[in-house]
Amino acid sequence: MTGRAYAEQPFEAPEPWRGFLWLSLRECHRVLRLWTQTTLAPIVSSLLFIIVFGLSLGGRISEIHGYPYEIFIVPGLIAMAMAQAVYSNNASTIFQARNDRYIDDVLAAPMYAWQMNLGFNVGGYFRALMIGGALTALAAPLTGAPIERPLYLLVVVPLLLVGFGALGTIVGIYAHTFDHIQFVNNIVILPLTFLGGVFYSVENLGAPWEEASHANPLFYVVSALRYGFLADADVSPWLSAAVLAVIASVLVVWAQYLFSTGRRLKP
Amino acid sequence: MAEAALSIRGLAKRYDDGTLALGGLDLEVPAGSFFGLLGPNGAGKTTLISAVCNLLRPTGGEIRVFGLPNSSLAARRMIGIAEQEPNLDRFLTVRETLIYHGGYYGMTRAESARRADEMIDVFDLRAKADVRAPKLSGGQKRRLLLARALLHEPRLVILDEPTAGVDLELRHELWRYIRRLHEQGTTIVLTTHYLEEAEALCEEIALISGGRIVARDTADGLKRRYEAQTLEEVYLKTVATGRLAAAREEEVPA
Ligand SMILES: Nc1ncnc2c1ncn2[C@@H]1O[C@H](COP(=O)(O)OP(=O)(O)OP(=O)(O)O)[C@@H](O)[C@H]1O
Ligand SMILES: [Mg+2]
Repeated sequence: MTGRAYAEQPFEAPEPWRGFLWLSLRECHRVLRLWTQTTLAPIVSSLLFIIVFGLSLGGRISEIHGYPYEIFIVPGLIAMAMAQAVYSNNASTIFQARNDRYIDDVLAAPMYAWQMNLGFNVGGYFRALMIGGALTALAAPLTGAPIERPLYLLVVVPLLLVGFGALGTIVGIYAHTFDHIQFVNNIVILPLTFLGGVFYSVENLGAPWEEASHANPLFYVVSALRYGFLADADVSPWLSAAVLAVIASVLVVWAQYLFSTGRRLKP
Repeated sequence: MAEAALSIRGLAKRYDDGTLALGGLDLEVPAGSFFGLLGPNGAGKTTLISAVCNLLRPTGGEIRVFGLPNSSLAARRMIGIAEQEPNLDRFLTVRETLIYHGGYYGMTRAESARRADEMIDVFDLRAKADVRAPKLSGGQKRRLLLARALLHEPRLVILDEPTAGVDLELRHELWRYIRRLHEQGTTIVLTTHYLEEAEALCEEIALISGGRIVARDTADGLKRRYEAQTLEEVYLKTVATGRLAAAREEEVPA
């Protein structure tokens, strides 16, 4: 302890950027500490899909849009794995922090509300990018899946991460139990991604299911990633990107509203 | 320093379930003072403290910390809080808990690590430095909570029942340490249910009941005013009867 009286010291200038970086670091630290659960498990399960559906059944299914089946399903599986990872990571980290109240250490800290919001999301981005990167690296040699439009991916992958990350934040803030978080994943994200055309082209469905699929927001997520990898999709890549951008914006505004007002985060 | 460490005007809080915890509370804590907040369970002490630390959405009123709005970054930087309920990050070890806390408060890694080691020694947590929070005993959690509150060298330290559940040795150790901080100019706000602790430590005491300050003075001043021999007697005459004496409000000097 210094002998100098605190009252004589100059005020410490707040360094909100540093706080934000430490919070981001904390979130990545959490992901790495639980890496078998957070990263390895989703990679293994997506690879199983590729191997079981693609490589073993793929030979019996004719090409879709000119691509062998095992290649056709890769982008959708990567989209699904990343969306689920960022969603469940952010929902559970916020939920745990609220539940144990250690979120107070962040809520009281000298940071802006948007920095708290973003900081809690960084772990999910990190986790989803690790999964997406690993799956891409493994699927390419296994199936020969190309990356035709890397720049397009650089736009839509961040939109996917931000959108589903914000969804996780919102659910983590509203959830009363852990089951609520699982529920949204199992009843909303998972089925809608399957129905969004991970395993088939919605064109093959015929009316009215093809039209109905266009009302499914996850259809655009799958289409966007498929366009990025295969330069081919059921809808215009710009429409997919626009839908992703709108979804991400709405959810980010909602999540930020919760952080700015402290609604449900503070009594 | 002319500015009060803490200046609260008309602070009100009604919880979402309708409970009125604070009804227009005013309080001024001078800079550099050692201030005790006493009152029965449910009086509103924790609610008051949470509001100061931006952990609550007040329904009315204004709070200033050294003249700055309590939600400003500069005000937040100056406050250190140890909450009543231990709330430790379950993914972090003792040392990490302290270092990350320093980081959230804007300290560099080196600065934060240095302070963390200092606090680990002060609070006798050396043997547990690499143990994660859920594996600590109740008293060890309390020590870590205090270490975390003090880590970033706040000017205003707020301790909500810091000595609940700690052993005698730490209690005395803690008293000594907090006294030294106070001598160095830190403002301390403390809540406790141990009246002898309040009497031994605090220069000024506010008694809170039903979400209002019902009396405020030095321990001796309170005893004189209420013609009491001990602080306990004052407590019994004011807040303990506060529940049945809402009607006697006028007689109680505020
Ligand atoms: N989250 C909450 N929702 C609803 N009511 C609450 C909540 N937190 C506290 N209260 C109520 O507000 C009142 C004041 O509570 P508070 O925790 O501030 O008391 P306290 O003085 O700290 O008591 P104690 O000495 O027991 O810690 C109580 O009536 C309590 O039931
Ligand atoms: Mg309390």
